[in-house]
Amino acid sequence: MNNIAFNVALPLLTAFLLPIISSGSKSATRFVGPFVLLAMLWFALAYFNVLQHPVAIALGGFLPPLGISFHLDNLSLLMAALIPLMMLLLWPYNNREGFREESLLLLLAGAASGLALSGDLFNIYVFYELLSVASFGLAAANRTAAAFAATFRYVIISGLGTVLALTGIALIYTQTGTLNLAHIGLLASQLNNPVGLSAFALIVIGIGVKAEIFPVNGWVPEVYSTASPRISALLAGLISKLAVLVIIRLLVVAYQGSQALTLLLVLGMLGIIWGELSAWHSKDLKRMFSFSSIGQLGMVLVAFSIPGDAGMAAGIAMMLHHLVVKPGMFLLTENWNGPIKKLKGAATSSPLAAFLFMLFALSMIGVPPLPGFWAKLLLVTGLVEANAPLYIIALVVLLTATVIEAHYLMSTALKIFSRGKKKHFKKLLQTPFNLTIATIFGAVLLAALFTLTPLGNKLNQIATESSDRSLYIKTTLSLKLPPQVKQQVSKVQ
Amino acid sequence: MRNISALVFASGLAFLLLVITWQFILGGAPMLIGEAILQQAAEELGAANLVTSVVLGYRGIDTLGEIAILFTASTATSLVLSSIAEKTSAKSKPGLRDDGTILASSASLFFPLLMTIGLYIILHGHLTPGGGFQGGVILAAAFFLPLLAVPGRGVNHSGLALVEGFAGASFIVIGIIALFQGKAFLQPLFGHGEMGSLLSAGSLPLLYIAVGLKVGAELSGLLANLAEPSGNGDETLSATESASTEQTSMQAEKTKS
Repeated sequence: MNNIAFNVALPLLTAFLLPIISSGSKSATRFVGPFVLLAMLWFALAYFNVLQHPVAIALGGFLPPLGISFHLDNLSLLMAALIPLMMLLLWPYNNREGFREESLLLLLAGAASGLALSGDLFNIYVFYELLSVASFGLAAANRTAAAFAATFRYVIISGLGTVLALTGIALIYTQTGTLNLAHIGLLASQLNNPVGLSAFALIVIGIGVKAEIFPVNGWVPEVYSTASPRISALLAGLISKLAVLVIIRLLVVAYQGSQALTLLLVLGMLGIIWGELSAWHSKDLKRMFSFSSIGQLGMVLVAFSIPGDAGMAAGIAMMLHHLVVKPGMFLLTENWNGPIKKLKGAATSSPLAAFLFMLFALSMIGVPPLPGFWAKLLLVTGLVEANAPLYIIALVVLLTATVIEAHYLMSTALKIFSRGKKKHFKKLLQTPFNLTIATIFGAVLLAALFTLTPLGNKLNQIATESSDRSLYIKTTLSLKLPPQVKQQVSKVQ
Repeated sequence: MRNISALVFASGLAFLLLVITWQFILGGAPMLIGEAILQQAAEELGAANLVTSVVLGYRGIDTLGEIAILFTASTATSLVLSSIAEKTSAKSKPGLRDDGTILASSASLFFPLLMTIGLYIILHGHLTPGGGFQGGVILAAAFFLPLLAVPGRGVNHSGLALVEGFAGASFIVIGIIALFQGKAFLQPLFGHGEMGSLLSAGSLPLLYIAVGLKVGAELSGLLANLAEPSGNGDETLSATESASTEQTSMQAEKTKS
């Protein structure tokens, strides 16, 4: 199990060496990245297959809570496998300009794997910062003036976010005296006070910059509409989910009280309202997708705010669904730039792209029997069963948002399928690569449709496992506590 | 509207932080991990500087993350700057001022002194305060000082990239060697030695040398990168100018919609 450290070490090692490799051989530069990603995928899948129960590994051989530990369970290994998989799909295979973008992508992969696996709050912060800096570079990789302006705003908001998150982590440290997540969970009773709760709020807002959470998502529409579609797909599809993963780990392990859940619920609802209404207003396809991404992540947050296994299952289902659908949609925007009005007749020049748009849109609205419907159904039943006034309000917000979503997506579809001049879209035939990748995302969505039962079973298993607080704590701390800490822990209790 | 919401957010944050500070019991914070590390670090790692045993031992992977962040920042910066450099390279460079013999020769005089101090701090990182990050910054200053004194003096970028790449790689390779020996990633190797002597604390000094060289090479490369296109400031200005006009047009569109 120790070998899972390769998932962090290998991409970083390759990124460090890439400048040297590229001065030696240009073709090696192009192949080494995908090769490393394949190796990462192999490690993650190998452990995913043999994992019977969650395992913790101590990095550097120092037992947690003194050292840093990685927590391996179904959820973290699933994310660790999805990272290289998405990167392989969205890799710039036709980039001949140099090694820098590849280097940044590998650093992003290493940071994301660390974020998915780590069980230590400060270690999570370090990888989050690495993830942020790598994504700044990628957002500006287009090197247009608009991309620079958007990235600048992104840097400022992210900088604010990391400072807030660090303040939150420091507050948790002053209250508990430890940084290991499992150890914090053991001492969770000391966080049930105004200082502990505001620490949680600060971390949610801080990490929430990447998760597109309500007050700190001003960068989203600008960055996604100026970066290349591959990068937007990566940031919206994968990176936002990792930030959400950190928040729910903290929620499950340390904040079981209702205040933390209410905070997530309210932020989620505000995200839904703001995102969907802005998407409804927007005149540009990329901006529309960006705003709808904010709305969708609001729904994910609402799902995780439902207590117990039901919320966890609904949240993970919404997360995975968004992870497949949104990158597919962003890849379609490659040739559908500009205002939505100009999309007239797009279907006649590229029926496949139009079909894929329809598929993704219907699944996102939640039309049965597409996978999006089942994910939203889990969310709706969860909200109904939670049976509290605030959750009923959330239900109303969710259903209204679905209607708005259906309206703007379908009116766009109407434009695409209406008759129009063909000549605008000739370019589409020349760059079919992104369309091929979008087709793969569509195929995955359809494949999920035919394997709903096994997927549902696995989802329930993952949800039960990852919402089990005592299992998480036991897994890490059963590595044997150092005697001094054990003594102090018993003194505190 | 935007100013008002920013003001509300900032004052809310300030209020929250004030309330939190009010709640603190100063000096009463629990030190679970801190005390445990103080008690056993010297015995477990054999480093006289306890901070080093935390930075490279207990939290070694954090340090790996930190050097990766610096590397990422410099890669991203050179990605952004390369577009400006490409545009300006066609133009002839404007004549550079000569700032005089005193400045130039004192910069050369400082070079060996700074190198010695930087390397000393790196090599004694496991014994005395300081270490790879601090020493690395001094190394970078040693390389950057001559560049400030005599603008236009070239920097050997490929040499820096070589040092940077191999230093970063050796940090990770030391970690992977432990993995192949059946230990955990980044577990210290080769025993403790006698505490307080130069050859002690296992592989920690090696890790610090890697960190120091990487930080030094990276910072000097980054600073040189920033210094180089500055001779042709008008081009940089026009890029930012067009960026800002584009943003205002974007805002105009937003207000329209």
